[in-house]
Amino acid sequence: MDPDLIVNGVVAGSLYALVAMGFNILYRPTNVFNFAQGDLVMLGAMICASAMALWSLPWFVGAALALAAVGLLGLIEERIAVAPVLRRSASGHAWVITTLSFSMIIANLVGRIWGPDPIAVRPPPPLTTETFELFGANVSSYQIALVAATIALAAGVESFYRTRAGKAVMAVAEDREAALLRGIAPESLSRWSFLFGGAIAALAGVLAAPLLYASIGLGPSLLLKGFATAAVGGIGSNRGALIAGYVIGLVEALAAVVLSPGYQMAATFAVMLIVLLIRPHGLFGHPEARSV
Amino acid sequence: MSAPLLDVQAVDAGYGHVGVLRGVSLQVEKGAIVALVGANGAGKSTLLKTISGVLRPTAGRIVFDGAEISGLAPHRIVDAGLMHVAEGRRLFRSQSVRDNLELGLYGGRLDAAAEARRYEFVYELFPMLRERPDHRAGVLSGGQQQMLAIAQALMREPRLLMLDEPSLGLAPVIVDQVIGAIERLRAEGVTILLVEQMVDRALDIADRAYVFQNGVVIGHGAPADIRGGDLIRRAYLGAAG
Repeated sequence: MDPDLIVNGVVAGSLYALVAMGFNILYRPTNVFNFAQGDLVMLGAMICASAMALWSLPWFVGAALALAAVGLLGLIEERIAVAPVLRRSASGHAWVITTLSFSMIIANLVGRIWGPDPIAVRPPPPLTTETFELFGANVSSYQIALVAATIALAAGVESFYRTRAGKAVMAVAEDREAALLRGIAPESLSRWSFLFGGAIAALAGVLAAPLLYASIGLGPSLLLKGFATAAVGGIGSNRGALIAGYVIGLVEALAAVVLSPGYQMAATFAVMLIVLLIRPHGLFGHPEARSV
Repeated sequence: MSAPLLDVQAVDAGYGHVGVLRGVSLQVEKGAIVALVGANGAGKSTLLKTISGVLRPTAGRIVFDGAEISGLAPHRIVDAGLMHVAEGRRLFRSQSVRDNLELGLYGGRLDAAAEARRYEFVYELFPMLRERPDHRAGVLSGGQQQMLAIAQALMREPRLLMLDEPSLGLAPVIVDQVIGAIERLRAEGVTILLVEQMVDRALDIADRAYVFQNGVVIGHGAPADIRGGDLIRRAYLGAAG
């Protein structure tokens, strides 16, 4: 197999894993699947790109701005599109429509403000997208940093779930009423989760921008790939998201070469279907954690 | 007589537009075991949910230790020192025994040494828990789950413990252990409000009891008086009173 293929697969897979982690963080205390996640990712990329291109701010400042702004937007989404419908029925599914509406609104506004042209984003120095040869593959320092940052983030998020607050989030996911009776306030955990889930979405966009350009097209494509990754990994599992990201990234890269680039999407979702037929809760999902 | 620890005053409550409780008044004295008995659907669990804040009373007041708690969010009521062990044990089944106990400490303000003493306290009460810290709660037997649920509720040192059907579905020998633990808790100074299907077992250990029928308290008093009268027969057989 061509070593470049593996590099491309692992890099793309890391981005999918980042998007899936954003999904997972929001999902855990709310059982809500945020359909606006792709737009939050896209907005993160656009804010960072604009800060750098228009105001000539350094990458780190642009990235911090994007994380803060999109985190805040995630919180606003929770307040207006999620908390009210969960208050009416914690197990209802009205959030499908409300988060989808939120997604449409963001996509529409961003299209109005920024227009359809992609913006090129340079990676933060000293990292570059210039490739060099490593073990027979062409890689760039930015790609290596991206993969490492994703692994570090997955490890960080998983270690949070081993703290008391993290266990409380898992408790809410499992049995909201029982959590209430133990003094856990699900509403506050769900606010924090949307804040962090939004910031992680922005981070995925910021990290994707130097490789894929910042454009409004980023939202829908990453939403679907991120969704497939979360489902294959087991919704809620960040370790699963990382592994599933690599699997999907590699399958996609392979499909592009063996079949044709046009079959990438079909290959991704074929993998998803096969995994879910064999393991309905994904590679690392617990069936019990979702029962109520 | 000093003011009761828990004072439920003429409370109405229910689900949505369906009223269940009508004008329920009830007092729990500090250090006592008070039993609630009555047929299925009489409103006992609804009352516990209303006290713990899962349901809001539509009329009346609930006062705990001199402060009104009706209308507060459930976690505020937990902070006030009132813990509710719901029917069906409601553990976090995919988490370990130790993690379930740790979740019982969530939101508390105990320092590490005080938390260690709470673990020791519940391990003394239910030695089985000490032996299986890494077992997932979902794989424990029914009796072990009930003990874990009670232990979890004790982690924050509640002043009032509300137990909903702790004997439900348990073997007689396990019921003995659970009842024994409840009596030991009273000896430790924990006040207990007990909902129990096994009326005789509840009356054996209770200091006072309330009899529920169709969302109304139809009588209360010392266990001996309750046993002697025809309240129980009316509550369970529904004979016209």
